[in-house]
Amino acid sequence: MQINFAAKELTIKLVYYGPALSGKTTNLKSLHALTSKEARGRLMTLETKDDRTLFFDMLPLAFKAKDGGASLRIKVLTVPGQVVHGSTRRLVLQGADGILFVADSQVSETENNAASFLDLRSNLKELGLTMRDMPTVIQFNKRDLPNIRSQEEIEGMAKKGREPIFLARAVDGDGVLESFFGLLKITWSRLEAENQLERTLGLSAAEVLPLAHEKLGVEKPLSELLSKSLGFAISDPRFDAPRGPRVPGAGGIPGVGSAPRTGGKP
Amino acid sequence: MNTPQRQSWRPGGEELSDVKLEDLVSREGLLELVESVVDLFGIPIRVYSASNGLLADAAHDQEVCNYVNTFGSGRTLCGTTVSAAKSASPGETGSALHACFTGNSYRIVALEYETRNVGRLIIGPYLPAATVEVPLTLTAVEGVEPEKARVYLARMPRAKEDTIQRIADHFKRALDLIMFAGHKTFLTSQMHLAAVTESFREMQEKNRRLEEANTRLRELDRLKSNFLATVSHELRTPLTSIIGYSEMLSEGLAGDMNQEQREFVLTIREKGEQLLGLISGLLDLSKLESGTLSVKRKVVSVRSIADTALSTVAPNAKKKGVNLATNIASSVVDITVDPDRFRQVFINLLDNAIKFTPENGTITIVAKNIGMMESDGEDDDQDGFSLLTPVDPRIEIRILDTGIGIPQNERAKVFDAFYQVDSSSTREFGGTGLGLSIVKRLVEAHGGTVHVEGNEPQGTAFVVRIPASGMPPRGT
Repeated sequence: MQINFAAKELTIKLVYYGPALSGKTTNLKSLHALTSKEARGRLMTLETKDDRTLFFDMLPLAFKAKDGGASLRIKVLTVPGQVVHGSTRRLVLQGADGILFVADSQVSETENNAASFLDLRSNLKELGLTMRDMPTVIQFNKRDLPNIRSQEEIEGMAKKGREPIFLARAVDGDGVLESFFGLLKITWSRLEAENQLERTLGLSAAEVLPLAHEKLGVEKPLSELLSKSLGFAISDPRFDAPRGPRVPGAGGIPGVGSAPRTGGKP
Repeated sequence: MNTPQRQSWRPGGEELSDVKLEDLVSREGLLELVESVVDLFGIPIRVYSASNGLLADAAHDQEVCNYVNTFGSGRTLCGTTVSAAKSASPGETGSALHACFTGNSYRIVALEYETRNVGRLIIGPYLPAATVEVPLTLTAVEGVEPEKARVYLARMPRAKEDTIQRIADHFKRALDLIMFAGHKTFLTSQMHLAAVTESFREMQEKNRRLEEANTRLRELDRLKSNFLATVSHELRTPLTSIIGYSEMLSEGLAGDMNQEQREFVLTIREKGEQLLGLISGLLDLSKLESGTLSVKRKVVSVRSIADTALSTVAPNAKKKGVNLATNIASSVVDITVDPDRFRQVFINLLDNAIKFTPENGTITIVAKNIGMMESDGEDDDQDGFSLLTPVDPRIEIRILDTGIGIPQNERAKVFDAFYQVDSSSTREFGGTGLGLSIVKRLVEAHGGTVHVEGNEPQGTAFVVRIPASGMPPRGT
């Protein structure tokens, strides 16, 4: 996050991570198509080869809170999914405020999803961060394909995991806005808790989401978008808490919990 | 070694909040664009940066301007007008009109990129299309002849305000596209540079770690080779003699011994055997560590392995007054393991349990199929659970005892070689501290996991999870 106090401008960076061909760029294209012309910039695709992302894609979104008020800029970036572009992924990840992990729902992609998640974790570690520092939402994409992990299965896993999960068919735009607003919600909560944005920029948590929703020209009601999360509700007030002690029995809340890590798997 | 610093440049970060028109578009390119528009409409255009620097100027002198500049007061007025136009703000709407005393107009238009102001466009002077009379402000200039002024004004380019606005819009759109392309090129080159530097840094770092690891491994390898040689030769050879001779003594081959002497010799022999066991364990461990232990996998039932292991440890348990029980669900499917090695896992775990379970305690082997939702207790970190959960089902085997238990913070360490929770327990319970370490390595060699949990309300549970075999593949 960057705050330009002189220009009363806040820039937040959301990164779409995930294995190769899981639909990160497709998410961005759909997000571009689903948002209003006034608030979105051009979708920038840096260097592609055979239609595969080499560097990153970027969609800038920007709007003003109110006349003369602070303006909010959201940069949505994708990383290149192919394993070989590891260092590029780490570069794109630098300074990220929130991550949407785009997973491929196909059963055959389970291992690739896991490998990419571990890659994310190790890249964050290289940058001196842990998963708990990073507001993260998981999207299970490609729900329209056959041989996918069932919704019941994902719901079961969502209950045990610490991230909210959204289902999506990015190619039709389904679930794209849901995931985006889900991520924006928990990212904002974290930033607000850590930076007192309401006090410094006059942007309150309660008004930013509806504002973004309105300025981006989204038709579906915000509450409907946010209600699509699996696991625990994205509107759970526990998301708003800054990093603190883990709530007993909460089953893991993104960004909450500071139980010291006792080594990892060998 | 000189490791390059991590790149401070961040895609989508700082550099974007500070985009300058002059950085994204070359001055020559900008001038070409401006000239092409001027050629098309005949109206002068200038482009200023956000910091008020003139970036491109395709204005040519107008006759009426040259004319008024021949008079002193006209020159002053012209200067004032031009500098006012230069510094005029396009205002909230992004477009403003600035009038000249000659009746001409300037249109000042804000240039934006990604909603940020990057400069201004000044179109003019041009004569508003509606003008028919020579304005009084022009004829009022001392020395100006109305007739000449009329002639010169008539030669000015004329345009309607909405035409000027359309020209401005067109220019802005063309420039936006060029800026976007420039921005993209800028980012690409930055990214190239950063990626190369990052890859280099990463490689240097990896090389350094590899070198360190290599040095350490070579040293360890040397130590281990020495150690193995010592163990196998220097220790085993005399030990075999000790055991052999004490055996002969106890069998009376060197003459009769009294009761006490025989007991002493038997103790020597017993301890010798124990020592041999320890040395063999060490060798096993070394083989497991170096990966030279061969694993011959077969499909076997959990029950058969449990039964043979139980019969092996039964005398020991009986001696200690500990009860043994099994609870293996009938649905438990077979596993693909090396039966000898896996029996060793059971025996070591059972031996360990017997050792730490008091008289009248109970040791139970529990086996069941588990789904994918069970988490491995050793990792309480549940982030990414939905992504990291394996697809294949596993068999879980628990060895439960009602012994003294292992404190939570000691549970991961019990698998370290030679580790004992409390070194005084070595004296009390005996043992080498190798058994569990061998268990962990054997289980891992079979693609499984082992960890410790508490056995409520009293005792310890060793939990072994091993991939099942013979299950129908998922998704059917």
